[in-house]
Parts: sequence; C-alpha cells; structure tokens
Amino acid sequence: MEVTLQVGCAGEANASLAEALDWETSGKLRPLLDALAPLLQDLEPSRTSYGAEFCEHLLPSPEALRAVREACARPFTLLTPYVGDSGLAMLRALFPVLRAGDEVIFSDWGVLNVLHREFPELVPVQGRLLNKSLRDPRVMGLYAEAGPGPTLTVLQGSNLDNRAYTAMLRRFGVKRAEIDGLPQGNDLATASMELTACLPYGFISTARVCQAAGLGYRKGEKFQPAAPCKQECQTFLLEHAYTNSPFENRDQKFWLKGNSYFYFHTPEIVKALLRAAREGALARLHLQTRLPMLANGLAA
Amino acid sequence: MKILAPIREIDELEMLHAAGAEELFCGFVPKDWMDRYQGAVWLNRRSTKGSSLETLGDMRALADAAHAKGLPIFVTFNAPYYTAEQTDLVMELAQRLSEECGVDAFIVSDVNLMLRLSEARLHAGTHVSSVAATLNLEAIRFLLNFGPSRVILPRSVTLAEIASIKKGVGNSCEIEVFMLNDGCAFEEGFCATTHHHSVGAFCTSLSGMQTDFEWHGRYFSVRRHAWLRRNLEDYREWVWYLNGNGCGATAKGLPYGPCGLCAVPDLLKSGVDSLKIVGREASPLKKLASVKMVADIVHRARHGVPKPVVIERAISLRKAPEHCHSGYMCYYKVDA
Repeated sequence: MEVTLQVGCAGEANASLAEALDWETSGKLRPLLDALAPLLQDLEPSRTSYGAEFCEHLLPSPEALRAVREACARPFTLLTPYVGDSGLAMLRALFPVLRAGDEVIFSDWGVLNVLHREFPELVPVQGRLLNKSLRDPRVMGLYAEAGPGPTLTVLQGSNLDNRAYTAMLRRFGVKRAEIDGLPQGNDLATASMELTACLPYGFISTARVCQAAGLGYRKGEKFQPAAPCKQECQTFLLEHAYTNSPFENRDQKFWLKGNSYFYFHTPEIVKALLRAAREGALARLHLQTRLPMLANGLAA
Repeated sequence: MKILAPIREIDELEMLHAAGAEELFCGFVPKDWMDRYQGAVWLNRRSTKGSSLETLGDMRALADAAHAKGLPIFVTFNAPYYTAEQTDLVMELAQRLSEECGVDAFIVSDVNLMLRLSEARLHAGTHVSSVAATLNLEAIRFLLNFGPSRVILPRSVTLAEIASIKKGVGNSCEIEVFMLNDGCAFEEGFCATTHHHSVGAFCTSLSGMQTDFEWHGRYFSVRRHAWLRRNLEDYREWVWYLNGNGCGATAKGLPYGPCGLCAVPDLLKSGVDSLKIVGREASPLKKLASVKMVADIVHRARHGVPKPVVIERAISLRKAPEHCHSGYMCYYKVDA
C-alpha cells in the first residue's frame, strides 16, 4: 500500500508518520488525531506531498518549493488549488521547479490544460475537488442508515463512475484521482481509475471569498473574491458545533480554516478506507496530519 | 448583451417577454426522476419540487411559444455530477428535449455530460454552468474540447477577470455572467453540500451554529477575541445579503439580494454576451420586477448613458440605498 504524507516545509520533507502525528498543535483537533493514531501506526510514508489544494494565496514561492523538492528523498507530489488567471501564473512559475515524473494534483481544468500542453513531463492527478460527490456531513450519514436504494447508490458514487469520463482523463494523461472518505460510505468498485483517499480531513466547501481574510479589511470592503490577504487563516481555527441540527447529531463538529470547511473522518470511515486499501480498491492513502491549509514556509 | 430570465411555466412567458427578457432558462424534472430519487438527489440545482417543468408536453409548448417570440430557451442539467446510471437517464431526456421539444441549449456542469452531449451531436447546444467553476481562461480552453457555445462564469469572477477572459476567448464562445438574485457564499462548483429542505443551505445553517475560536497566533487577548467575533458577525451579515437579504423579496414582491446592476456599463464594455437573472422558483411578480429592473439599466447602458448616471439609476431602482451602500449586496466591485 502506498502512503503519501503532506509536509509544510523542507525540514519535514522525509518525516516518518510517527513524527507527523506530533505536528498538530490544535487543542481541538489533537484529541481526534490521537484517537485515530492506533489505526494509522503501521503506515509508513513512501511519497511526500506539498502545496495547497484550497487557496492560491497559500501556494509556496518557487524558492520554498525548490527547498522542499531538493530536501525530499521520496517521490514527490505538488498540490494545487483552483485558480484565477493570476493564480495560474503563479503555478506556471512553480512547475519548472519540479522534476520529470513528479505528480501534480490539479483542482482546476485550466491547470490540467496547462500541464498537458506545457509540462508533459509532469504527471497530472485529479484532485478531490474535482471528484464530484456530495459530502455534506450534516445529513449524508442518514442516507446510509436508511439503507440501500437508488439514492444511496448515487450518493456513494461519483463522477468517476463514468468510463467515458475516465477515458477522457486518460487522454489528458490522468491515471489517478484523489477522493475523500464519505460520511455515507464510498462505493469504490465502480470507479474506473486508480484512487487515492485523503485522510483524516474531508472537505465540505471552499470559496474564493475568505472569511479569515476579512480580518484585514474595513467592514464594507470585506469578503471580496480573491482579495489579497496576509494569511490571516494561519492565526485561528473556527469550530462550529451543529447545535441547530433538526436531527440527533447536534454534537457534530465542522472546522473553518481560512476559506474552507472540513469534517474529520470518524474511526469508522478510516477503518473502511484502510480495509479498501488492503483489498486493493484504493491504490494509495494521502495522510494530512494537519488541516490541509498550511502556509508552506521556507523554515526547516 | 442579452437579458436571460428564469421561467417556470408558459403563463410567465408573455410578461417576461414584454418586460425585456431576450433569452429564457428553465428546469425540467420528470416524474420518473422524482419517483426514483425521492427528492434527495436533484436533477438540477433547484429542488425537484416547484421550480421545474415536469412533462415533455409542457416543455414543447413553452419552447414553441418562446420561439414564436424569438426567444431561445435553455434547460438546466447542472447537478455537480451524474453517476453512470443517471447519465444514461439524462442523455435520454436531452435527446427528447432537443429533438422533440426544440430546446436550444442545455446548461451543464458535469464534464462527463458535456463530453457525452458533444458526442451525441444534438441540435441543442451546450452552455457550461457556473457550477463547473470555470475561473480562468485556460479552463475555458479545456472545456472548449466539448463544444460549448457559451460559458457561464461563476459569481466569484471579478470584473477585471471577466474583461480579461472575454478578451481571451474572443469569438470562440459566448460569456454569460450573473446579474440579479441569489448569491453563494462558497464556490458553487466546489461546495459538496446539499440544499435539501431538511437541513437548508450549509452557508446559512452555519449562522445558527454554536462557534468557538482557537487562536493560533502569538498571543491571544480579549481584544483579539472581540476582533474575531466582529469579523464572524460581519461574515454572517454578508451571508444574509447573499441569501436574498434573508427573504429574497420585499413586502411588495420586489427582488431583494445580490445584484450586479451597477456593473452593467463595465460588462457591456467588456463584450459580455448575456446577463443572468437567477430564480426559476421565484414568484412571477419577482421575476417580472427583476427583468424590468435589468432591462431598464441595460437599455440606458446600450444608449450610452454615462456610467455614474447608470449607477445612480441602479441604486434608485433597488429602493434600498442603505443595502447598496453596505458593500455586501453587490456581485461585483465597481469603480465609479
């Protein structure tokens, strides 16, 4: 089983899982991670990932990427987000830093187009933002409890179920896709592509308008799409408790970091993903032991 | 630059046309779909009940009547994805809506469906939905592989980006942008939640949840905590505006909520092809008022009325200057 570990700087480029499980400093998230640690302890990273899936303002500089790439002794994956034209220009400056055969996770069709046309030596991987499936943790688990039927079949599937679609992706050099562990369960049998599951954080939603960036603006100027920021997202975590649920899950938690909301995989979801990996339905696991909203600094 | 209006049934056609609608879009959800998926899995981005046409006969009648007035009609197939089974169902529907009803285009967000439609070579064209999250010129170039005649840019694309994209695409496809009603706090194409009535939209549901900040900066203080709380309250206020100012229509039935009227002169100058009025499920009165409002501003812009005068007129039409001046009700930030 292949395992990718996301790192945040050159000093972490070859970290073991035991080291990575110590990185989380949040008092809210740490206990959740500690509870999962026994399930993950036998995994050992064989690949390193670095970058940003959810925000172009968190992309590393070419210098920071070069430092991580040079320090990294393992196969390497660069994470990239959805982007405006300015973000795409930033990525065009990052791709030449990579080596032939390095993977690039794309979350935007424009990024795939650029990779295919201008950087054919890099290996594109479809990111989880483009793996379309509903992940709404407020309610999706209830559909699983309701039992099998056409609705659950759709909710456990995704756009990767369509062979015409995966054949099109292959024409663009895409042979692998990343997915989330779904609250309603994943039907991996129908996906016609090599799959990597991200854990333990699933994304709920993300935006070009960033709540955290609003801290840097006067009231009437806040919440503009793609507004410049000072990475205020790195200064706080906002935890939501689903206290207004019409169901019994009023203790459920969601977390906002910057422009994106996440849910934490339950032990049941993680066990299902590990089982799928052992049985070969998943080719790889992508471990992100901190919320995948890292500032990607130079520091060792 | 055309005015694209939502329509729910043929009875709304006459008034929308008279008010200035130049294109129409609607949803279509047959009973078979509702029976199979029981309201939990939507065929398009609106609830299966009350916002779409339901029979091919009604669709054909609407398309014929619209065409008689010179208006094209587009149908939304803009769910974020369809599984293999669903894709076959949607393709069968598309075939009939195109060849039997004369629908002019399908509004599509799932790249797989775009691919299948391009291979099927139907009379109806394809418009890329905003749910496809087409945020840059290269993304449009990629999607042109599947033959769309139009791309609808998401609400989060700024005026400067729209101008740059329109210049870049030239005549290879049309560009449509949002003009009135309904916002989205998140990037619509990257929001993996449901708007099912049992839980409501995630963005609005968040405002009712208990929250707790955890500070990761150098030091935390009562003042910093208040600063974070204020920002969260501002964000919730912004979401309130996106959600139609909490209700979607004033007491008199006029449209409330997100608006791009002040940007019409800039959008016209950029060469944008179509302005979308959102709200298939809205009341006929709100639809009518929305089209009238947009037509009034577009007419002035087309006739060269200076931008500051157009903006002044737009604000007066909304009849709520305090909301216009909040800065939270605008799709686009306009330099006056």
